[in-house]
Amino acid sequence: MQILLVEDNPADAFLTQEALRQEKSNDSSLSVVMDGQEALSFLRQGGKYAGVRRPDLILLDLNLPKKDGYTVLAEIKGDPLLKHIPVVVFTSSTAPRDILQAYALYANCYVIKPLDLENFFRVVQSVVKFWSVIASLPS
Amino acid sequence: MIAELQLFARVVAHDFQEPLRMVTSYVQLLAQRYQGRLDPDAEQWITYAVEGSKRLQRLILDLLAYHEVNTRTQEFAAVDCESVLAGVLFELRGTIAKRGATVTHDPLPTVRGDVAQLQEVFRNLVSNGIKFQQQEPPHVHISATQTENAWVFAVRDNGIGIDPHHLDRLFLVFQRLHATEPYPKPGIGLAMCKKIVERHGGRIWVESELGKGATFFFTIPR
Repeated sequence: MQILLVEDNPADAFLTQEALRQEKSNDSSLSVVMDGQEALSFLRQGGKYAGVRRPDLILLDLNLPKKDGYTVLAEIKGDPLLKHIPVVVFTSSTAPRDILQAYALYANCYVIKPLDLENFFRVVQSVVKFWSVIASLPS
Repeated sequence: MIAELQLFARVVAHDFQEPLRMVTSYVQLLAQRYQGRLDPDAEQWITYAVEGSKRLQRLILDLLAYHEVNTRTQEFAAVDCESVLAGVLFELRGTIAKRGATVTHDPLPTVRGDVAQLQEVFRNLVSNGIKFQQQEPPHVHISATQTENAWVFAVRDNGIGIDPHHLDRLFLVFQRLHATEPYPKPGIGLAMCKKIVERHGGRIWVESELGKGATFFFTIPR
């Protein structure tokens, strides 16, 4: 499975990569983009992303430079070519209004980043396992 | 000024959490990857660093919870204190069994309030009553009496009691009264209780003598 991670903090992106690397049964591959604009060019295969494979799953941070996570989410879910791709909002915000707004914009699920490394790894691995093994996707 | 302080507390609580999560995670990752390949000093230092950062995370979460006491939008409703206490005792059943504690209570009334917050008050007072105990098995008793315009709740324990010199600091945030183990590190429990009780229009105080247990009182308007 092809996963796109939209995350502006490289340290955080590395932790997600490491979580997948430590999962032996995992055969997904992760691409990382660091802001909202890059995320949309990647998804629309524009510019330097011409020819990249569209991801099967998007992990989206909310706090992003250039275009924030909500704008990216709204654009994905408003685009007939992209709206079928599951978007997992992956953020440290526990604020009820963020959760509400993400679902109102058709996020497929909202996951809070655990503070502890072990839980963080487990959550990343479970999310990817759910979307790759348990759920059936159009692609 | 108060609005500014609230903004400050929220920013501190939220924006400090992120970099701290990186510190904690990467120290844990170091420990995970290099376990058994470092000398004992290095392993000990990593443990200290993880403990320190976890403690700071806890403090920040507490500070956030404290800040959020007054920002809840839930309307007050009828709260049956009997069932609130039953829920708290169920949550604390592990601690109660481990310490061989007895928790008894008189019939408790139904009051108007925020059920989650009142549960927090009972949880804090009952668990303090169990924790601050030296030799005897802890005994905590909860009662309620009626005055003209309020219910007065009392949570009495047979624990170590509180030095009168400390009484005024007891309800402040992050105060440490006991210098050494085995008593738990200072938290935010009683400051939370005070803020919650005051949000309900009541007040909270304690009567105690060193070595003779303590009784915490709080009122909820009728």
